[in-house]
Amino acid sequence: MGRTLPSIAQVFLGEQEAFSRFRRALRRSDQLVVDDLFASAQKHLAATAYAAHALPFETFLLAMLLEEHKETMRLRQLIEEMLSPTASPSTQEQT
Amino acid sequence: MMDGAAGSSFLGWVMDVFETARQGVVLWFLSEDGTRCRLTQPFPVTFYAAADPARLQALQHELAQQPIKLCTYETQRRDLFINAEIPVLAIEVEQTIQQPLLFQRLSQAFPDITFYDADIQLSLRYQARTGVFPLAYCRINADANHVVQSIQPLDTPWELDPPPPPLRILSLEPDVNPVHSEPTELLIRYEKHTGRIPLQPERPFIINIASILQTYDPDILLTNWGDTWLIDHLLKLSKKWKIPLPLNREPGRGVARRGEKVYFSYGQVIHRGQQVHLFGRLHIDRCNAMLWGDYGLDGVFELGRVTGLPLQMSARVSPGSGISAMQMTTALHMGVLVPWHKQQAEDPRSALSLFYGDQGGLVYQPTIGLHSHVGEIDFISMYPSVVVHFNISSETVGSRSPQAELIPELGMTIDRTTPGLVPLTLQPLLRKRIAFKEQILTLPEWDPLKKRYKMCASAHKWLLVTCFGYLGYKNARFGRIEAHQAVTAYGREMLLAAKDVAEDLGFEVLHMYVDGLWVRKPGLKTVHDFQPILYEVSAKTGLPISLDGIFRWVAFLPSRRDECIPVPNRYFGVFQDGTIKIRGIEARRCDTPACISGMQMEVLKLMTKAASAEELPGLLPQIRALLLKRLSLIQQRVLPLEEYLVTLKLSRTLEEYKAPNTPTAAALAQLQAIGKSLRPGQRVRFLFTLGNPGVHAWDLPGMFDPQRLDVQRYKILFLRAAFTLLQPMGFSETGLEDWLFGRERPSELPIDTFRRVGQHLLPAFGLQESV
Repeated sequence: MGRTLPSIAQVFLGEQEAFSRFRRALRRSDQLVVDDLFASAQKHLAATAYAAHALPFETFLLAMLLEEHKETMRLRQLIEEMLSPTASPSTQEQT
Repeated sequence: MMDGAAGSSFLGWVMDVFETARQGVVLWFLSEDGTRCRLTQPFPVTFYAAADPARLQALQHELAQQPIKLCTYETQRRDLFINAEIPVLAIEVEQTIQQPLLFQRLSQAFPDITFYDADIQLSLRYQARTGVFPLAYCRINADANHVVQSIQPLDTPWELDPPPPPLRILSLEPDVNPVHSEPTELLIRYEKHTGRIPLQPERPFIINIASILQTYDPDILLTNWGDTWLIDHLLKLSKKWKIPLPLNREPGRGVARRGEKVYFSYGQVIHRGQQVHLFGRLHIDRCNAMLWGDYGLDGVFELGRVTGLPLQMSARVSPGSGISAMQMTTALHMGVLVPWHKQQAEDPRSALSLFYGDQGGLVYQPTIGLHSHVGEIDFISMYPSVVVHFNISSETVGSRSPQAELIPELGMTIDRTTPGLVPLTLQPLLRKRIAFKEQILTLPEWDPLKKRYKMCASAHKWLLVTCFGYLGYKNARFGRIEAHQAVTAYGREMLLAAKDVAEDLGFEVLHMYVDGLWVRKPGLKTVHDFQPILYEVSAKTGLPISLDGIFRWVAFLPSRRDECIPVPNRYFGVFQDGTIKIRGIEARRCDTPACISGMQMEVLKLMTKAASAEELPGLLPQIRALLLKRLSLIQQRVLPLEEYLVTLKLSRTLEEYKAPNTPTAAALAQLQAIGKSLRPGQRVRFLFTLGNPGVHAWDLPGMFDPQRLDVQRYKILFLRAAFTLLQPMGFSETGLEDWLFGRERPSELPIDTFRRVGQHLLPAFGLQESV
C-alpha cells in the first residue's frame, strides 16, 4: 500500500543498516552486544512510532537505555536480596 | 396476477430495478401471492453542471441540439467540500436510459465543466427518491398497463428481521473447477430436488437445463463458476443446438458481461473473474462473490439491502464500492452534490505535522512467553465508532466554526455539532451491527436465526472495515486524507487512554493491537471481574468496548529469526470456554498443508485441557504420543494426498518469477506446459516430491504415486509447526527433536524460559548464569 513515510519497522531496519560498517569492524563478542542493544530498542517500536520524533535514532537510544536500566534494577534487586539476610527477619526487626 | 385489475394494490418485494428502452425503469416484483411481475415506471433522471455563465450558456446551446427529451433549469445545490450552496444548471433527462450516454458526450465536449450526480447507479437514485432498496417489502399501486402509480416501502434497510421473500433458488454446480480440469456433470439442486446431469451428450443436456428453467422458473441462479465458465458454456450449447435457453425473464435482453480484473488490496493480489448479469432473474456465482465463504446468500441479501446496490452487483463488488454507494445515497438524501471526479488536494502543512499525522494504529510488541489470568478487551468496531462518536467527515475536519474542537496530535479542528455525511452514513450500520452482535451472544446455538445474524454481521464487518480506508482513498468521492488521519489519531488516543485506565486499575498490559488490549491481573477469573475496567474505559473514551474473553493461558511468540524479538501478531491461547484463538501460526496460514495444520489444531485441542499455564507441562507425554503418531502417518504416506497439498496464491505471472526453481514457479511451469495458465491472485496447488523439480502441480492429469512424496520435506514443516506450539514451554528447536525421538528425556521443563537479552553473552565473558 502507498505510504508517504516509511513504517517504523522500515525506519528501524534503516538505522540498524546505517551502523553495519561500525558493527562489522567490531570484535565478534562486541557485535553480539550491539545486536542485543538493537533488539532491546525493537521492543519499543510502537512507542517510537507514536513519538514521531524527527530523529528516530534518539528514541532508539533512549529505548536501549530504558532496557539497560531495567536490567540494572533487576540485578540490583537480586544482589540486595543475596546480600541481605532473609527478607522476613529484617522486616520483623524493623517492626 | 394483476391483468385487467386497473388500480390494483400489491404487497411484495422488489427484486431488481433496471433501465428500459422507452418506459423509464423496469421493476421485477415478487408479489406476496407468489406471482412474479414485470412493472414499469417513468423515472426521469437529473444531473448538474457548474461553470462560469458563458460556458453554461454554451452547454445549454449544445443541450438544445440533442435529439432526446430533456429540460434544464438553474438552481442552487450544496457542495460538500466548499461546504456551501453553489449555483448549478440542472439537466433533467426524461428517459432514464439516455442519461449515461448524454453525460458521456457532454463530459467529452466540455472537459472544463464540473459535473455532479452524473454517474450514479440507478438503484441508488431509485432508493433516494422512493426509499425502495433491493428486496424491500413494499406496497405498489399499478394500472392496467402494469405502470407503477405509486410505490411505498414498508420496510427499512435497518430491520434485523425483514419479512423474508419466498425466493425460488436453482443451484447449478459443475463437478470440478473448470479452470483446473474439464467438468463432466452438473449438480442441480432446487427445493428438495437434487440431481446430476451429465454434460455429454450435449443436446439432451441443454434441453434438460432449458426445461428446468422453464418449469421451475427460479428467481436466483446460484452457480459455481457461472461467471467464468458455466453461463457461457450453456449459451454456446443453446446456440449450437438451437435450443432457446430462458436465462432471462426480461424479454429481448441478452446477458450482460463485465470484464475480469486483477488488483491489489490489503497486501494481497486479488483476481476477479468476468461477471455475467441476468435481467429479471438474478445470477450469483458463489466462486466470484467477494467473500462468499464469510457471509453466504444471507450476507449477499444483507449487503444489497444496506448498500442499495442491485443484488447481482452487491454479491460481487468489493466492500469499498458498497460503502461508496451508501455515502452517495446519503448525499442524495441530504441534497449534497456527488462529484464525478473529486478535485480535492491535501492542504499544505509542515513536515513535523506530517510525522504526527501520517501514522496508523498503535501496534505493540507483546511480552513474549506463556501467561495466565489474561483478558482480551476490544473496542467494538473501533474506527467506525470513532467516526460516528467524533463526527469525522470530509466537511467537518478543518472546520472554521466557532464551536470547532482541536483534534489531538494533529493540530486540526473538527466540528462535532453538525452531523457529517460519513458519520450519518455509518451510524445506522454500526447500530445494526452492534444489535446483531448482541443477538448472537444471547441466542442459543440451535437457533437458526443465530446463523443468519452471524452471516449478516460478517457482511457488515467488511463494510465497516473499509469505510475507514475509504476516507483516505484518493478516488473516494467523499474521502479526505485529513479525515482519515483524524480517525487514526483518535484511535491512538483512545487506545492509550484505555492503557492508562488498565494500569490505574492495577492491570499489567501485555499487548496492544490497534483496538484491542491484553491485560493481566492475577486472581481475576470471571467476566464480572472485568466489568470495572470495561466500564472505566468506556466512560473515559465514550466508545463501546467489550471483553472478548478470558484466557486459560495465552502464549505470545517471538520472531522466527530471533527469540529475543517479539512480533505483534503471532500468538495462540485458549479461552475459558475452551475456544482456541490463533494468529500468525502455521495452522492459520492458507499455504500450510492440511496434515500440518491438522496436527497443530489437534495438539492445541489437547492443550485446552490445561486450566492454566502451570498445567501445560503435565500434558507433554500425551502431546509427544500424538506428535509421533501424526508424524508416522505422514511419513508412511498413508494420508489422502489432499492432506499433503500446499496451496499458494500467485502474486505474479510465471515470467515475473526471478528464480524459476521456487516451488511455485516450478508448479506454474508444469501447468503452463499442459496449456493451463493461472493469473496473479489465483491459487496454485502442488505436492512436494522427490528429485527434480521437487514439486508436482495438483491439476496435472494422470495418477500420482504417493511413493514420490518428499516426506523429509514434510517432516521439516511438521517439526517447525510443532516447535511453534512447544517453544513457550521452554523447548529449543534441537531440544524438541531430542525429546520427541527419545534421544534425551527432559526431567523437569521450566516454563517461560525465553532467553533474556544478554543471556547468551555470558559465556563470551566467561560468566555463567546462576539464577
